[in-house]
Amino acid sequence: MAYAYLFKYIIIGDTGVGKSCLLLQFTDKRFQPVHDLTIGVEFGARMITIDGKQIKLQIWDTAGQEAFRSITRSYYRGAAGALLVYDITRRDTFNHLTTWLEDARQHSNSNMVIMLIGNKSDLESRREVKKEEGEAFAREHGLVFMETSAKTAANVEEAFINTAKEIYEKIQEGVFDINNEANGIKIGPQHSTGGGAGASAGAGGAAGGGCC
Amino acid sequence: MDFLKSGLKTVLGAPEPGQQPSGADTVERLVERVNNSTLLEDRRDACRALKAMSRKYRVEVGAQGMHTLQQCLELDRADNETINYCLDTLNNIMSPTQFEEEEENPNVPMNIGEQFTEMFIKNHQNIQLVLDLLDEYDFRVRFSAVQLLTSLLTNRTKDIQEIILVKPMGVSKMMDLLADTREVIRNETLLLLIKLTKGNANIQKIVAFENAFDRLFEIVSSEGYSDGGIIVEDCLLLMLNLLKNNSSNINFFKEGSFIQKMLPMFNTPDEEEVGWSPQKVSNVHCMLQIVRTLVSPSNSAQIISSCQKIMKNCGLLDSLCNILMASGVPADILTETINAVGEGVRGEAAAQRALGAVLAPSNPPRPAIVVLLMSMVNEKQPFSLRCAVLYCFQCYLYHNETSQASLVQTLLPSSTDVSSLTSGQLLCGGLFSSDVLSNWFSSVALMHALIDNNAQKEQLLRVLLATNIGSSPVSLLHQCTVLLQQSTKLQSKVALLMLLSQWMSNCPPAVSAFLRAPGAVGYLVTQTCSNEHDENEYLLQGMSAFLLAICIHFNDDSVDNYSKDSLKQLLVKRIGMETFSAKLSEVSRHEAYSRAAKHPQLKVKAASDILIDYEFCKLFKGLESVLIQSLTVVQTNGDTEEDTESLAQYKSLIRQQDARLHELLQQLAAETQRGHKLQAALTDATSENSRLKDENTLLKAQLSTAASIQPAPSVDANIQLEYQQKVSALTDEVNRLSAVNHAANEELARTKKDQDDLLELLADQDSKLNEYKMRLLSLGQPVEEDLPTEAEQSLA
Repeated sequence: MAYAYLFKYIIIGDTGVGKSCLLLQFTDKRFQPVHDLTIGVEFGARMITIDGKQIKLQIWDTAGQEAFRSITRSYYRGAAGALLVYDITRRDTFNHLTTWLEDARQHSNSNMVIMLIGNKSDLESRREVKKEEGEAFAREHGLVFMETSAKTAANVEEAFINTAKEIYEKIQEGVFDINNEANGIKIGPQHSTGGGAGASAGAGGAAGGGCC
Repeated sequence: MDFLKSGLKTVLGAPEPGQQPSGADTVERLVERVNNSTLLEDRRDACRALKAMSRKYRVEVGAQGMHTLQQCLELDRADNETINYCLDTLNNIMSPTQFEEEEENPNVPMNIGEQFTEMFIKNHQNIQLVLDLLDEYDFRVRFSAVQLLTSLLTNRTKDIQEIILVKPMGVSKMMDLLADTREVIRNETLLLLIKLTKGNANIQKIVAFENAFDRLFEIVSSEGYSDGGIIVEDCLLLMLNLLKNNSSNINFFKEGSFIQKMLPMFNTPDEEEVGWSPQKVSNVHCMLQIVRTLVSPSNSAQIISSCQKIMKNCGLLDSLCNILMASGVPADILTETINAVGEGVRGEAAAQRALGAVLAPSNPPRPAIVVLLMSMVNEKQPFSLRCAVLYCFQCYLYHNETSQASLVQTLLPSSTDVSSLTSGQLLCGGLFSSDVLSNWFSSVALMHALIDNNAQKEQLLRVLLATNIGSSPVSLLHQCTVLLQQSTKLQSKVALLMLLSQWMSNCPPAVSAFLRAPGAVGYLVTQTCSNEHDENEYLLQGMSAFLLAICIHFNDDSVDNYSKDSLKQLLVKRIGMETFSAKLSEVSRHEAYSRAAKHPQLKVKAASDILIDYEFCKLFKGLESVLIQSLTVVQTNGDTEEDTESLAQYKSLIRQQDARLHELLQQLAAETQRGHKLQAALTDATSENSRLKDENTLLKAQLSTAASIQPAPSVDANIQLEYQQKVSALTDEVNRLSAVNHAANEELARTKKDQDDLLELLADQDSKLNEYKMRLLSLGQPVEEDLPTEAEQSLA
């Protein structure tokens, strides 16, 4: 299928916060209530439309367990977007965000868009982390924030699509070097708007060079 | 070598005349030089010399120089040449292959490279050092580092994979080298990545994530696809590594539209004179392997089906079919293509339909399937090709009632078109051919047309064969039973038993038809009872038992002599249930059974090994317990003479036991009554006893109170009186004594006062005495000194 852009995402966060469920809900539109531990990394993909353009999302869902941390780090560099997920019913998963963020910032390219996700918003009665706290954390670290429920699908689409929008805007602004595939962005094979893309690529080239 | 020697001379100085230094000595001196020289040039020269010696004297260089070389990598990083020598030396030491120079030397152990590798990787930092050197752009350094890593990986694949996996950016660094414009480095990197990705799913995923498929397809296309050199093969081998048993990567491959990118690989050349170079054969073979990996029956059904759809829709399946029908294709490529086509359509109706519609460019045009089957029943074709056709045909029929029906249709009398050859006719021909393999292939192929398809099982019963001219036609099933009884060949018998089992399971009309065939049941019973001891005989006995059980279980009692019950009795009498189950279990114990049960595709090396088919294993597994259960359950319900006899026995036994039970019950009642009486008596006795006890206690208490009251007062009074007298006496005494004391005190005070007066008087007298003495002295009268002293003394 033809696409204008291809974005690579990673999903990170503590074990059991619902990373794989978010992906499953987004790609297959279903929910899996049993926690099946992710081993290493799993792959999923879906097409979305932004600004009338087909955008292919390739998503790598990483294992949250500490044992896999060194493996999952290899995925930061090549990703254009990251969903950093915590569980609103478990305070510790929120407390670990700083570590995750440090890790991500250290190993990724500086333009990577990070979306902070407070998952399991359907479990309001067991909530341990207030929405305001998530918002504050996101504001403090310059992230986009959203509460989702992989179970009811609330905000799941939005989380993935808003991240893509953010990346798309950065491309338009020329922040990303789209010719460097190491940034996690690829121009589609049938993308014929060569002039615009080329110009933004040129501008992005300088910025990209500076950051790397 | 002369150059080398002179080089050594310049480094080491000329040897002393008449004394040739041994290799070990030289190595030792060189290592010392690397360690101790302050000048970079000297260290570099020594490293160069070490490198030169490391092939012939690898044990010495490794044993003495390993540590030094590691240090050198760290300390002399700035000098690319030195680093290059170090890396090459290390690579020589740890090389997995034996050098020409050391072939003669018996002191070099076979796995010396592996041993040194083990030493080298003990410190993980060493791997990091080499990985860091990949960042160096200098050709020699980068190239040598890649080679060294390849050697290390060859020697200790798992260990190094694990180390690299936890090094941040370890895999990514190597992936970057694929983009190196210097082809030599790119090609070496390919070899490195092939080793790196072998059998490690996590590394495979990271490599795929780092855009490996894009890079590889770029290289493959720039090298001219299948016409390219060995680099294309390397790229394909790497892809194969990334995809094998890695569903995440297969998914990624599919989602990344890489299946479509494979298409140009299978473009068959238009002009036929362009032959197949060995390299092209290898390239296409790899590509076919990739196709098969994507649609392998061991993948999840979801992945298989979506890959098959894409392959069909993008034209890949057509391209593969074109190879099938092209001329001049080497046999092994053809075989593998047939397998790939098979797996490409297996269970996917649209793809199966597409395969069924392919026409061979023959005159008249025949369906490709028919042409393939012609090869299958042709003795002259290579064995592996015939196996592949069977597999492909099985895949074509798999889960597809339409293709199953169309096969059976070609055998039915109404539709027979005399002029054209049909697949059904080919299979029947194969069934009755004198070639054992053709029998086997045809039986199994026919069997696959009947799997889970009762309609076709009944349709196939209608098939009639004209055996001899003039004689009346016989049914296909009848003919199969005749063949079964006549055949002397194991493979043919097994094949027919498999076909009949599949045909008759869940199909009572087929069972009836079989039971009506003369000699069929007798043959099965004889086979099952046969007592020959041989692995293959066991298998035949077991399969016969299986078919017999099917005859009983799926029997609708439409054949008088062989009703369900009569067959059961026959089985119990002639064989016995235990023997029967034992024989049945022999089937799954056979080696060929466990081999076939593993994978839908036949995995046999030689034609003689071919025996059991995957689908038969499935049928057997599903029915075995059902059959045994149905036989045993029915047996206990049976109403035979034996049963009535034993029933009578049991009845009398029960009666006896009943009488005895009654007797015992009466005894029990009597005993209970007695027990009750005793209980009552006991209660009486107990209550009496307790009453007496109470009384006793009461009396005891009274007695003790009475005894204690009487003697006490008299004793007390006496003592009291005595004490009072004593007390008054003592008080008087005290009074008297205090009076005395008082008087004495007064006396003492008085005496003290007298003493004071006397002392005063004495002092007066003393002063008077002194006065008189003075006066006497002044008058010149001598005074006796003694007197006053004596007086004083006496006073004191």
